[in-house]
Amino acid sequence: MMAIRVLSMVFTLLVTVVVWPSTAVGQSVHSTIQRVQQRTVKVFGAGGIKRLHSYSTGFVVSSAGHVATVWSHVLDTEELTVVLSDGRKIRAKVLGAEPQLDLAVLELKAEDLELPAWDLEADSSDAGPGTRVLGFSNMFRVATGDEMVSVLHGVVAAKAPLATRSGAFETSYEGTAYIVDAVTNNPGAGGGVLTTRGGRLLGMIGKELRNAASNTWVNYAVPISELKQPIQQIIAGKYRARQRGADEKDAVARFRPLEFGIVLVPDVLFRTPAFIDRVQPGSAAATAGLQPDDLVLFVNGDLVQSCRVLKQRLGRLDAGGKLKLTVRRGDKLVPVELPVPDKPLTPASGQPKTKPPGGSK
Amino acid sequence: MRAARMLEFRTGRVALWLLVCLVTGPAVAQDRPVVDLETREEQAFKEASAVVAPAVVRIQTVGGLDRVGRVLTGTAATTGVVVSPDGYVISSAFNFVSRPASVLVTLSDGRRFPAKIVANDRAKMVTLLKIEAAGLAVPKMAPRDGFRVGQWAIAMGRTYESPLPNLSVGIISALNRIWGRAVQTDAKISPANYGGPLVDIQGRVIGVLVPLSQRQAGRTAGVEWYDSGIGFAIPMADILATLPRLKGGEDLLPGLMGITLKAGDVYASAAVIDRVRFNSPAEKAGLQPGDVIASVDGQAIKRLVQVRHALGNKYAGETITVLVKRGEKSVEQKIALTGKLEPYTPTFLGLLPVRKKQGETTEGVTVRGILPESPASKAMILPGDRVVQLDDKAVADAAGLFDAISRRRVGDEVKVHVDREGAKRTLTAKLAVVPSAVPVVLESDVIVAPNPKPADLPKTGRFNQDLEGHDHSFWAYVPESYNPAHGYGLVVWIHPGSDTMEADIHDLWKPICDERGLILVGPRAKNIAGWSLNEAGFIEALVQEMQQKYRIDSQRIVLHSYSDGCRFSFHLAFKYRSLFRGVAASSEPLKVAPPENRPDLRLQFFLSCGDKDNLHRLVQRTRVRLAAMKFPVVLTTVPGEGHSYPPIPVLEAIARWIDMLDRI
Repeated sequence: MMAIRVLSMVFTLLVTVVVWPSTAVGQSVHSTIQRVQQRTVKVFGAGGIKRLHSYSTGFVVSSAGHVATVWSHVLDTEELTVVLSDGRKIRAKVLGAEPQLDLAVLELKAEDLELPAWDLEADSSDAGPGTRVLGFSNMFRVATGDEMVSVLHGVVAAKAPLATRSGAFETSYEGTAYIVDAVTNNPGAGGGVLTTRGGRLLGMIGKELRNAASNTWVNYAVPISELKQPIQQIIAGKYRARQRGADEKDAVARFRPLEFGIVLVPDVLFRTPAFIDRVQPGSAAATAGLQPDDLVLFVNGDLVQSCRVLKQRLGRLDAGGKLKLTVRRGDKLVPVELPVPDKPLTPASGQPKTKPPGGSK
Repeated sequence: MRAARMLEFRTGRVALWLLVCLVTGPAVAQDRPVVDLETREEQAFKEASAVVAPAVVRIQTVGGLDRVGRVLTGTAATTGVVVSPDGYVISSAFNFVSRPASVLVTLSDGRRFPAKIVANDRAKMVTLLKIEAAGLAVPKMAPRDGFRVGQWAIAMGRTYESPLPNLSVGIISALNRIWGRAVQTDAKISPANYGGPLVDIQGRVIGVLVPLSQRQAGRTAGVEWYDSGIGFAIPMADILATLPRLKGGEDLLPGLMGITLKAGDVYASAAVIDRVRFNSPAEKAGLQPGDVIASVDGQAIKRLVQVRHALGNKYAGETITVLVKRGEKSVEQKIALTGKLEPYTPTFLGLLPVRKKQGETTEGVTVRGILPESPASKAMILPGDRVVQLDDKAVADAAGLFDAISRRRVGDEVKVHVDREGAKRTLTAKLAVVPSAVPVVLESDVIVAPNPKPADLPKTGRFNQDLEGHDHSFWAYVPESYNPAHGYGLVVWIHPGSDTMEADIHDLWKPICDERGLILVGPRAKNIAGWSLNEAGFIEALVQEMQQKYRIDSQRIVLHSYSDGCRFSFHLAFKYRSLFRGVAASSEPLKVAPPENRPDLRLQFFLSCGDKDNLHRLVQRTRVRLAAMKFPVVLTTVPGEGHSYPPIPVLEAIARWIDMLDRI
């Protein structure tokens, strides 16, 4: 796997050389690359054991010496070092972090630095699929000392949410991301930058990430528009980390299929399709016209691929709203709407689980 | 619904706007300030993808396996391309390897439809879907003859939850890859865009993205190359050419003719036919080993590899014209390709020939015995009859008769001309399949010790020896009554790891060898812990050594093994097909795929296993696997036994089975 990724990285580099030979244009890309590389730093910290890399990348966000980087195990040390593009090694500390954005801001322990830095207001931009982009990072620690970080090129493949609600990715970042067709996300590349060919800052390269839904590696960057404010606030000392899914715990199993009068087929496979086995007479499901052998495909617009996922979705429903299901009946898709009970049908004692209406168990 | 319509409207407008841009592009560009080439190219990528985008659909699957072979299949959305306005969508077969219970197609305007899998093309690994929709946008096709290596190629998918398709930009890296089936691109091809289109810079579809591999076939072959800079697309022109057949619900299989070509440098050697598979289209058309293929469908063939290219785009059911050079002659044949080559089924007459002694030169084959319930028995052939002719061909010896019978098909009627006490008779036998049981009684061929004993008789009894030129030793048992006038069966004992079982094997087999005219030889693994596959050469040399020293009947050379020794004996049997005629394997399943059965290389199996052995079920499956390849196989289950060496009655059955290996 790694071999293939490295191989493709080499490919990418080769293509880079081939595609931009013309001097006039070469100049503008060349100056972009120089400008970005001056603002990109190498971060060295914890790791080096259990195949965890001990390095990552960062980008300078204030001339006084603030560096934005990816929030990772690398930062989990007192011995944090930042190597500037000119080769200077400077000790650093974590000033603040936003784990939900995979963001950390470092403060360099040195006076009067006057570093070339990104102006997050003026230098940032936005891009859609097909836009040519450059990725800058300390991937694989190829660049040493005052060597400049590596550059990859590609296009924006998509700008789309990374984490679908089914939890396809094991990442803390759940917002919209730039997905890139170059292999930007390598060991140590996290905290690097994605820019346009003109040198506008688009995003911060994320960690290595495997897409649990398609079983492939994903190359992505968190848009700078998401990071700008937290970075500025952390530097100003005004930042308060976001509350992390406060209601997650009690959200897990609020409703079950039975509470709507739906009995699913036995969940025997890893991916048992969510076929309705029986509909309880007089239940909400019966009123809505659901029938045995209907295959539940969508819950409030989201695809459910198995009984398991359907149960998870129902578990997270909000009390008192509407439950919109789309079922496949024969060759037709049939939408139905069911009321969600005002509160989980929990006995007054407050026990989490409940008996379904109709009294069967 | 309103949102969907709104979206449709917007997409429509954007597409229109882009079209206008494309048309008026050059004129406007002149008025613009200088824009560099890259920026214009970038714009062209976006425009090309926007032109095709309405025909790129999102495919989601529900249910199905989560693992196919060793590949974990995803549940992520995949991509398809609309190929006709009435709702046909083509996609990569990879997207359906998990055999989903339900397939859903979401159009670019947000409308969703349940889809039906109509048919698969198993050569190009694409699948045709049908949804009940009309008036769909169908993309333009890039003409196949316009493909140029180096031209821009944009790979599109609809995997992400975004109104716009995902893109990856690259170039066409090569044409006619995977035996002429695919275009290669360096754009990033992965499950994120399998099934999606590869588009040229003008917004025309070059092909449909699929994982493919040159070395493997199968539904997940080539996936390991995802995002590596090596990706493949099946040209749209080729897909459209097969569309009518696919629409008819017909699965398309790669066309096979059933020949193997003589090994050689595929890029230099001529295409010489090495073997013509029994019962294959090539055999039926009369192709012969040694024929040199000169052209396929008028396309000249100068090198081996060109044959594969010529056949790469042919399907089962199609007929090709093959011109071969046979000596000085040129022969042209029409061959109807098949999707599946039927394995060769050995035929069975049920006649045991008298084994000729050294120097005997009687014409024909004298019958030593007739197996009960066999075609020979039903045809009333009797022991003592001398078979002199089969159909219209004279029979010289047992090998000739055996070869002639082997090349007939099960169910064929043959006329057996026999000489019975001077009177000629013609008997008709209907050939059957080889029975999967060993007769309970089988008289042995009595061998008496030579009298007087020749002076140069080789070693007899039990002895130890090193094999010259090899770093190995072996032990052997040769009946004391060894008579070089007779041919002997040879049993090669392949011991299990860490135990040569010499004393036991000798004691159990000595009486059997004496009775049945068998020589037992026990090679020793260099490392007593177990056999390594590169010791195969030693076994081959040992058998050849025994053949030199003793008179061995080449029809009765078998491998016998127990437990993990069987892995090596199966390996040997498959490696030296012309040497070994049988494998008697106890208490161990076959762990590799059995090879193809061939009429000219007879190979049979005797499996045994205790019914309390944990491996019993796997050994049963081994029987099924071998039988599926049409190898004659006997399975003996020993009641009440666990994982242990078979008891004497089973060994006696093995001996009878060996004694029958030269049956016709």
